[in-house]
Amino acid sequence: MTFWLNSVSVGIVLGTPLAYAALGELIAERAGVMNLGVEGMMLIGAVVGFIVTVRTQNAVLGMAGAGVAGAALASVHAVMTVGLRVNQIVMGLTLTILGAGLSAYLGAGYAGRRPGGEINAIPIPVLSQLPVVGSILFNHDVFVYAVPFIAIGIWLLIYRTRFGLWLRAAGEQPGAADASGVPVFLIRYLAVIVGGGFAGLAGAYFSVVYTRAWAEGMTGGRGWIAIALVIFGTWNPIVVLVGALIFGFVDGLNFQLQSVGVPVSSHLLAMMPYVFTLVVLIITWTRLRRRRVGMPEGLGLPYEREAR
Amino acid sequence: MSVSIHLERRLNPPLAMRIAVPAAAVVAGLVAGGVILALGGHDPIDAYNSMWEGSLGSSDGIQASLIKACPLVLTGLAVATALRIGLWNIGGEGQLIIGATAATGVGLYATSLPGPLVLPAMILAGCLAGATWATIAAIPRALIGLNEIIVTLFLNYIAILLMDHLIFGPWADPKAFGFAYSRALPDAAMLPVIPGSYVHVGIVIAVVVAVTCWWLMERTPWGFSVRVAGGNARTAEYLGLHISRRMVIVLALSGAIAGLAGAIELTGVTNRLQDGISVNYGYSGVLIAFLARGRLLGVVVAAFLFATLVVGSYALQTTGVAQPIATIIEALIIVFLLAGDAALAFRVHMTRAPHALEPATAGVRS
Repeated sequence: MTFWLNSVSVGIVLGTPLAYAALGELIAERAGVMNLGVEGMMLIGAVVGFIVTVRTQNAVLGMAGAGVAGAALASVHAVMTVGLRVNQIVMGLTLTILGAGLSAYLGAGYAGRRPGGEINAIPIPVLSQLPVVGSILFNHDVFVYAVPFIAIGIWLLIYRTRFGLWLRAAGEQPGAADASGVPVFLIRYLAVIVGGGFAGLAGAYFSVVYTRAWAEGMTGGRGWIAIALVIFGTWNPIVVLVGALIFGFVDGLNFQLQSVGVPVSSHLLAMMPYVFTLVVLIITWTRLRRRRVGMPEGLGLPYEREAR
Repeated sequence: MSVSIHLERRLNPPLAMRIAVPAAAVVAGLVAGGVILALGGHDPIDAYNSMWEGSLGSSDGIQASLIKACPLVLTGLAVATALRIGLWNIGGEGQLIIGATAATGVGLYATSLPGPLVLPAMILAGCLAGATWATIAAIPRALIGLNEIIVTLFLNYIAILLMDHLIFGPWADPKAFGFAYSRALPDAAMLPVIPGSYVHVGIVIAVVVAVTCWWLMERTPWGFSVRVAGGNARTAEYLGLHISRRMVIVLALSGAIAGLAGAIELTGVTNRLQDGISVNYGYSGVLIAFLARGRLLGVVVAAFLFATLVVGSYALQTTGVAQPIATIIEALIIVFLLAGDAALAFRVHMTRAPHALEPATAGVRS
């Protein structure tokens, strides 16, 4: 029983950074820009967040710095893909390589150090005393508590505000949106940069909050999983959040199984989240094809006003 | 009065610009990299000197570049081939690794094979494994339209973990003391070198594959039908072409080429399956194919230039420059190349006139 309880609790913690990164990617993709640089932005966020925390002994500043750093790298993506219309896939991959190199360079002297400042778990009064669910759900840090509200907030933003309408229009039919006065370029820039900020936060969650250490390449491909989660969640923030938590649970299960000494190679166990996501993706997508919902029509295509 | 900038598509940039712009991009990347080197306390001139010496500036450097170009030509071809039908194969990394893994399996366990058959069997196993790995992504793409980028990417991680499982577990070298590599392969499993050099024949194989792919895609009716299917799905359907069948075949071919890269890297360079048998070759292949504008023979040139950059950055590391800096310089050069590429495609008009807001030339941003 404790095994499963631990797995759920660890799953929530591991799913949270994935949810941030995936929600950021969702915003960019809703505006029509695919950002394959998430992994690089998470790494930059992780290292900058860690360095700022070490230097200032203040984890809140560290997280803020991480958001800014992720947004800064994302702004390169925005200038190149929205401004210069460079291929989004190629640019994103390049930024992942750049982010990996840059983060390793910046973090060289920080491996093995402790961050100093920390983000503490805040047990919610009364609720955290509940049997079973108390310790699983109501004894986390503020980033965990915030994530459902952020997901709902993004949903409201997308479907219930004028800005959200513009965002969707920029992603679905940029030409028509532009003709009717929607500032397509501005929205795409904003969406990519904000999305990158989310990725930066997600990375720093690993280095500053969760492991409280910096290691080269520490996000270990979770940026790519975030991108897959957006597809899995059919570009709906609520479903994306659920997907992130499920994935976090499977990821956590892997650690839990290793710690109880299951006689299976750790490499095969580590494969579990990927195989699981792949299978789930194929199942959801088979079901989805009949309904034709989700993917923004203009996703991945640079908008050229001249070619309208 | 405002300055307004119009962008206009430039259809055929003059040849001089097509050479000058990428050259300027490389210089810009090197200058930006020089700033980072200087910040890190290195002398940029010294550093770039050793980079030149280690790549194009010496016979050893050129040979090292040719060796490095071999997997890059193949992964670049893998991506460019898939692009013919409009698919992005980001899984070259995994297909290469699974190819090397399958080839290792044959090399280690098919001991009853006569000597001359060992290499062909390993290479064939590598191709088949790469093709299978890519097909896992191709089938859901063809049947239900599931994004191939994400599936090929995921398969990279699964391939790496599978290889890790084998080299840390059943195939581990007992003398490796926890290092990540398999037992060494028999001598019959080594590719010969080109006489008079230390370059293995893999580069020759890679060029032959490039020419074959070019012939297949550019000179055969089937290749043409693939381009039609990749270019305009509706036309292809009217013509009665089976798009999904072609998708699977092309992606399997693409995977086979990447798997071949793995088998060659194994038999030509490492002689055992090891962590880091692929140094981002699969991802580099995407950039190479793009910089070659998807042209199959252009990939050979782009891959060789890319290889000189990689080999040069190794030389940089021998002078004490940290590996991340070398990675950053590589990435910066690519960023500038991409920006230059984009700049080539557009002509910029600057007008300083109040009447610039003509609806007919709606490319107005001020």
